[in-house]
Amino acid sequence: MKPVLEGRDVSRSFGGLMALHRVSFQLFEGEIVGLIGPNGSGKTTLFNAITGVFPPQEGEILLDGKPVSRLKPFQICRMGIGRTFQIVRPFLKMTCLENVLVGIVGRDEKGTSREERVEQALSELEFVGLGGQSHRLAGSLTLLQKKMLELARALATRPRVLLLDEVLAGLNPSEILQALDMIEAIRVKRKVTIFWVEHVMGAIMTACQRIIVLDQGRKIAEGPPDEVRSNPRVIEAYLGGADA
Amino acid sequence: MSEFLMFLTNGLVMGGINAISALGVSLVVGIMRVINFAHGEMYIFGGYLSYQLAVGAGIPPVLSMLCSVAAVFLGGLAIEKWLIRPTYGDEMYSLIITFILSIILQNAALLIFGPYPVKPPSLVFGATNIFGLFHYGNQRLLSLALAAGIIGAIMYLVRRTWFGKSVRAISQDREMAAMLGVDHLKVNMISFGLGCALAASAGAIIAPIFPVTPSGSGAVSLTAFVVVVLGGMGSLKGCIVGGVILGVLENLGAAYISTDYRHIFGFIILIGVLVLRPWGLFGKRI
Amino acid sequence: MKRAGLAGVFLIAILVPFFLNQYWLHVAIISLFYVMMASSWNLIAGYTGQVSFAHAAFAGVGAYTSGMLALYGGVHPALGIIAGTLLAGVLGLGLGGLCIRMGGIYLSLTTLGFSEILRIIITNEEQWTRGTMGLQIPGVFSVYSKTHYYFLFLAVTLAFLVLMRRLLNSDTGLAFRAVLNDELAASTSGIDTVRVRLMAFTSSSAMAGLAGGLYGHYLMLITPDIPSLGQMFLVLAMAVIGGMGSFAGPIIGAIALEFLSEYIRIYGEYHLLLFGLVALVIARFAPSGMVGLWEKIWRRR
Repeated sequence: MKPVLEGRDVSRSFGGLMALHRVSFQLFEGEIVGLIGPNGSGKTTLFNAITGVFPPQEGEILLDGKPVSRLKPFQICRMGIGRTFQIVRPFLKMTCLENVLVGIVGRDEKGTSREERVEQALSELEFVGLGGQSHRLAGSLTLLQKKMLELARALATRPRVLLLDEVLAGLNPSEILQALDMIEAIRVKRKVTIFWVEHVMGAIMTACQRIIVLDQGRKIAEGPPDEVRSNPRVIEAYLGGADA
Repeated sequence: MSEFLMFLTNGLVMGGINAISALGVSLVVGIMRVINFAHGEMYIFGGYLSYQLAVGAGIPPVLSMLCSVAAVFLGGLAIEKWLIRPTYGDEMYSLIITFILSIILQNAALLIFGPYPVKPPSLVFGATNIFGLFHYGNQRLLSLALAAGIIGAIMYLVRRTWFGKSVRAISQDREMAAMLGVDHLKVNMISFGLGCALAASAGAIIAPIFPVTPSGSGAVSLTAFVVVVLGGMGSLKGCIVGGVILGVLENLGAAYISTDYRHIFGFIILIGVLVLRPWGLFGKRI
Repeated sequence: MKRAGLAGVFLIAILVPFFLNQYWLHVAIISLFYVMMASSWNLIAGYTGQVSFAHAAFAGVGAYTSGMLALYGGVHPALGIIAGTLLAGVLGLGLGGLCIRMGGIYLSLTTLGFSEILRIIITNEEQWTRGTMGLQIPGVFSVYSKTHYYFLFLAVTLAFLVLMRRLLNSDTGLAFRAVLNDELAASTSGIDTVRVRLMAFTSSSAMAGLAGGLYGHYLMLITPDIPSLGQMFLVLAMAVIGGMGSFAGPIIGAIALEFLSEYIRIYGEYHLLLFGLVALVIARFAPSGMVGLWEKIWRRR
């Protein structure tokens, strides 16, 4: 079976600093794979590389076997890679409906009317539980609602793969449960493959089938949660070395 | 031949002035990512204050120059603290604010000083024979020497002092510098004040040769921007080289091609560099 | 409620020539010019976050193109204005193409350079433009009537604003605002941000060309003051004080400031200084301008 998303020897440096060093990974359809590592290990850099924000300087990213590394971020999105951000970034001065509409407009499909797009946007909002909030400004939402809005906007772009960047950060336990339900719903009902960076260990260990561990720009472990949890190198990376 | 040498040396003198002026802009752009549109106004305030103190208050010329530069430095500190810092690094708003500030200062200068050009007294008189090839005014030579001296002082500042080290750290990697404990706020404020002071010193130095007028401030700002872009944003070397190149080109161009279009060379260089090689001669590749 | 308000404003606008004398009617016409200028500048600065200093220059392109075509080529001003608009749009596309990618400071500096180059060329090519002495060009109407000009300007301005409104409410407008709010999030949501900003820049420059062409044929004497940074500042101040990023802001700012500057002119040429001070205070303390302040007061009730 061919992977949906694949990275081969992805490398990226900033100034003299090697942020990613020959990182390779594969995600298969329908999977939910976690990406963990201490601060500064390159997790968000890898996401930025995949989405074309800071493209890889060496190596390749492939979506369904097609290389996407040299494309611009908006093109990569249209090909089917969506993302959310570590610090949530909805369009604050626009309404929830407009936020999601941007995702739909971004798909750049001809032939849909305004009404159809609005309907699609409303159904995405319903899906994430913001159905009643369509006319509220994104800036006035709670943190959890903003994260849900970001998810709705990303879903509106009809991604094959969704990159979640610390989506649980800042949420209280009950909110975390709601978010986990939503992520699972996205994976199952919308058939999206999920690649998930997270610090909330408990959640990611239970939700993911497979975990990849980065440390200082290198992949140091990969496997089912139990294996990774007891891997001495992983433990050392978190407890021992440079936790900047 | 001696005529050509004279134009060339004029170009060098202007080049030195351009360099100092550009250093003032480059420092602020490199540290704060802010373009100070009011730069030209600081320059003419340097000239005008120097004149007012020397002629109006009878203070010795050297002292009036120093005092006017100091006054503009303090003004720059205040502007950074109250007008620019609150924009929290929003490039658009800081641009707009300095642009508005420049209009305010320009009109204020017209009101306070009047539209007539003023010329502070020269510090030295007479002319020197350069290598037996041509005669050149001593005041101009002094200006060149002062400009070189200031450049030297800035280079020392950047290489040896804590301020200089902070500046270099920030311009290389902002986040790293913050993590290492560099006091951003203080560095920003001093940088801006210094930027304004450099503009004022350029104005004060050139004023005994070419009188300053409030309506000339726009051209000064634009020239400084051109030099910074040509030399490369954030590069000290670039300011010097760019300043000299522009000074020489403009003077030779005005002398041999056309005086009306003398300022257009600068803008053509500006756009050309921005389009073909935005990081200029010595800037960091983006 | 809003409709009634708009209808009222429209009614007043139509009746203006009947209760203003010639001098103030002139001021009203000029303020309509600035409404077009400030609104179109707002499209790039307020709605897509790019501070261009070339706006007045594009108005100059419109004015001089149309004026020279009419004077030397006998072209009817209506056609000339269209030509000026198109040329401004093409130049905007070119200039934008050069500097949109770089954005921010680089864009501002490039537009500044462009503006000054244009002004220097216009000033120096006296053979064609008569430089600072000004170029006398024919008006739109064979018989001069301020009232006619007023209605012409009103009609064009209204059409202008309606078009802008529709643009902003369209998908393109949505993309504009997304780019303004958060360019990174917009690009990862599939928006071609460079293309969006370029479209905004090009349409905005064409609009400035249109406004400039019309303005030139009204004044019938065009000077290099039109494409100057002083004019650029006025347009900027009107947008800032009125409220950048809102639709009504630049409109209100333009009308208010133009009428105000005429009042102040009675006391002396202080209007630039005064506007500068007000604009500074607003940019510093109330970045959403008068419209923003009004909305805040309204919300408190």
